Amino acid sequence: MTSIYNFKKITPVPTGGDFLDIILSKTQRKTPTVIHANFAISRIRNFYMRKVKFTQENFDERLKGILDEFPKLDDIHPFYADLMNVLYDKDHYKLALGQMNTARHLIDQVGKDYVRLLKFGDSLYRCKQLKKAALGRMATIMRRQKDSLAYLEQVRQHLARLPSIDPNTRTLLVCGYPNVGKSSFMNKITRADVDVQPYAFTTKSLFVGHMDYKYLRWQVIDTPGILDHPLENRNTIEMQSITALAHLRCAVLYFIDLSERCGYSIKEQVSLFHSIKPLFANKPVMLVINKIDAMKIEDISAEDRTLLDNIVDNEGVEMMGMSCYTDEGVMNVKQSACDRLLQARVDSKMKGHKINDILNKIHLTQPQPRDDNPRLPFIPTGAESKAKYDAKDPNRIRLERDLEAEQGGAGVFNVDLKKRYLLENPEWKYDVIPEIWEGKNVADFIDSDIQEQLDELEREEERLEAEGYYKSDDEEMDSEEEALEATANAITEHTRLTRIAARLKTTKNRPTLPKTAIKRTVGEMSTHLERMGLDSSNARARSRVSKRARSESRGEIIARLSSTARPETSVVRDRTMSGVRNVKQKLESEKVRKLAQRTPNLFAKRGESDRAVQTKMPKHLFSNKRGNGKTDWR
Amino acid sequence: MAVRAQFENNNEVGVFAMLTNSYCLVAVGGSENFYSVFEAELKDVIPVIHTSIAGTRIIGRLCVGNRHGLLVPSTTTDQELQHLRNSLPDSVAIQRVEERLSALGNVIACNDYVALVHPDIDRETEEIIADVLKVEVFRQTIADNVLVGSYCALSNQGGLVHPRTSIQDQDELSSLLQVPLVAGTVNRGSDVIGAGLLVNDWCAFAGLDTTSTELSVIESIFKLQDNGPSAIVEDMRDSLVDSMV
Repeated sequence: MTSIYNFKKITPVPTGGDFLDIILSKTQRKTPTVIHANFAISRIRNFYMRKVKFTQENFDERLKGILDEFPKLDDIHPFYADLMNVLYDKDHYKLALGQMNTARHLIDQVGKDYVRLLKFGDSLYRCKQLKKAALGRMATIMRRQKDSLAYLEQVRQHLARLPSIDPNTRTLLVCGYPNVGKSSFMNKITRADVDVQPYAFTTKSLFVGHMDYKYLRWQVIDTPGILDHPLENRNTIEMQSITALAHLRCAVLYFIDLSERCGYSIKEQVSLFHSIKPLFANKPVMLVINKIDAMKIEDISAEDRTLLDNIVDNEGVEMMGMSCYTDEGVMNVKQSACDRLLQARVDSKMKGHKINDILNKIHLTQPQPRDDNPRLPFIPTGAESKAKYDAKDPNRIRLERDLEAEQGGAGVFNVDLKKRYLLENPEWKYDVIPEIWEGKNVADFIDSDIQEQLDELEREEERLEAEGYYKSDDEEMDSEEEALEATANAITEHTRLTRIAARLKTTKNRPTLPKTAIKRTVGEMSTHLERMGLDSSNARARSRVSKRARSESRGEIIARLSSTARPETSVVRDRTMSGVRNVKQKLESEKVRKLAQRTPNLFAKRGESDRAVQTKMPKHLFSNKRGNGKTDWR
Repeated sequence: MAVRAQFENNNEVGVFAMLTNSYCLVAVGGSENFYSVFEAELKDVIPVIHTSIAGTRIIGRLCVGNRHGLLVPSTTTDQELQHLRNSLPDSVAIQRVEERLSALGNVIACNDYVALVHPDIDRETEEIIADVLKVEVFRQTIADNVLVGSYCALSNQGGLVHPRTSIQDQDELSSLLQVPLVAGTVNRGSDVIGAGLLVNDWCAFAGLDTTSTELSVIESIFKLQDNGPSAIVEDMRDSLVDSMV
């Protein structure tokens, strides 16, 4: 598991002088260097502007890198924020970063100003002086940051060496007076190698070690010893312990040395416990009596005993004895601390809502028996008793891997697939069998009696056929059914064609004509009707009737028209008459309209979409250009 | 006994091998390292067989089997079939199956007594499974996944199913399979259990990425060590809660 707090990747911060060298040499390397006074002035200006801008951008980028990479105290875990405050002084740190930010803005401003000034440079010399001034001012600004840069580099180096403590994981925190055996305990239970010496404050900073217990990875933090005095008097070394105690969710192991060989009396050690007790709130705490090889709990004086008992009774603290010297009780302490912490963590997690997502993973489903069938496991003999393979054992079984190594390694070694064949006669293993034999796939004849089986099947088939097994009863159809079927087929075919025709008709890739525009003849209609299976004689008769009707007198027609529904035609109304009462009014409105349009028409002969050539020879395109032979004239 | 293994830098060991109580199939790879992991555990107990199916290495996904038989897809070549027949003991029946869902390992999950199959599998295939593997066949899904073979690992002693299987589904599956079940993951949180884990009644092979917590769940649910499946809800429960939430 990797910690999200890794401060090892911050790029080194160069010192003030180096910083300038880096930036300026980069400008020198990455921008053009050749310029002549007789170049066009715009080119000269651009040359120097580019230098100024490039330098400014480099400063900007570099400073921004510093600002981004250093952790922001407000964003990181409070433990780290506090630890950094203790170690590097929050104000100083923020000030240094703030100054970097100010310097960045100032340099940006200088760059901008001088680029603006360069636009007015009228000679190579002036431009060069302006560039020099710009770079000089930037350098001055940066040189003033010398101390901040040096400080930040120091901070970076120290940060990179901080132990990577994950503030959220399972943590055992070891604390107590100096020299009570905290680091020894750490060395006992983890693989960390912390320096242990017989004097106080051997451990001057936080150390972290890891161990495994109950399939989980645990973090053990060894803290520097703390003395019993008010918070404001504590030094940086002690404050690291206090920070860790205050911010890490952990199990606290408070170490007490009853033998008093550490140089502090039991009373002092107990009073320290009481003074830092507020930091133990909501954490499993254990009172670890160390060095019981030198002094047993039972052997101490009655008043000391009451002091200890007070703690155990009032604070809900578990007391355990151990000795790092004889290893007695060390594992007990570790296990009970881990168990208590795990219990506390699980209890709090069980209250959260995330637990619902994993309920099924901690649920073991036992089957409901559904029948009396015993479903026993099947473990071949020898499986359980098989010796565990040990790669270091000289008498180990030889594996294919060993063979491979002997015979040239991977890529050279060719595995023998036939070696382990289970055949009736082991001599058959390497027999060559053709895949194709006499034009037949050998695998198809894998059964020795396949030909017989096939013959058998064919014989059965013949028999069944002879017996009339496949013959259906109603095979012959009478003529009536045949006719019926023919009609049915014709209908199906016809519907199919109609469907296709309809589909073609609805595909609109042609002009749509109104019904009246399509010429239809009586003949067409009658064939159509006949095709649909209808009698067309009536329709024909009707068409003849209506033809005769047209030759009726005009008056009759008019009379009939007024009494019948209007024929279905598209009506296009004359819109000029809409909104006016009569012809006279219409004429009048037209006159007004024409009058109103007279002026616009006069002016708007040309629309904006018309092509226009405004000026034949634009002055700016043709002035100052010489024609042939006009030099004298100048 | 659970072992971690890797096939040519790939953690999906269940894709490149197949394990039952009476034989073990291993894909032919570039080197013998993968094969030897199985050989070290199983040599002289059951045959460990190099093979390819349809010329591919993904044999674990293409074929399915148990102690009684082996089903291979229709794409298996005659030579491969011959090789398998020669290598397997006579007690194991081999059958080529004409099935549209030809990745049999993905669509069928079985132990020696029960098989769960994809709901869309052919009726004929279902009968073949019942006859050749001598199992009861149930059409099922696991956590709404039709690929039952990919999302669970079964033995005669237990089963590990997809991590999103609801408790009701687990109960139902467990009463069909008649083994204790638990939902879990392999290969550091992978939900394709069938691809990441090979298991039989006395040993298991998981991908190299499998965490110790995952491995301990595997060992207890498949009864590969002294404490049985109940350890998951007793001793290991706290560790599981703390590591997963």
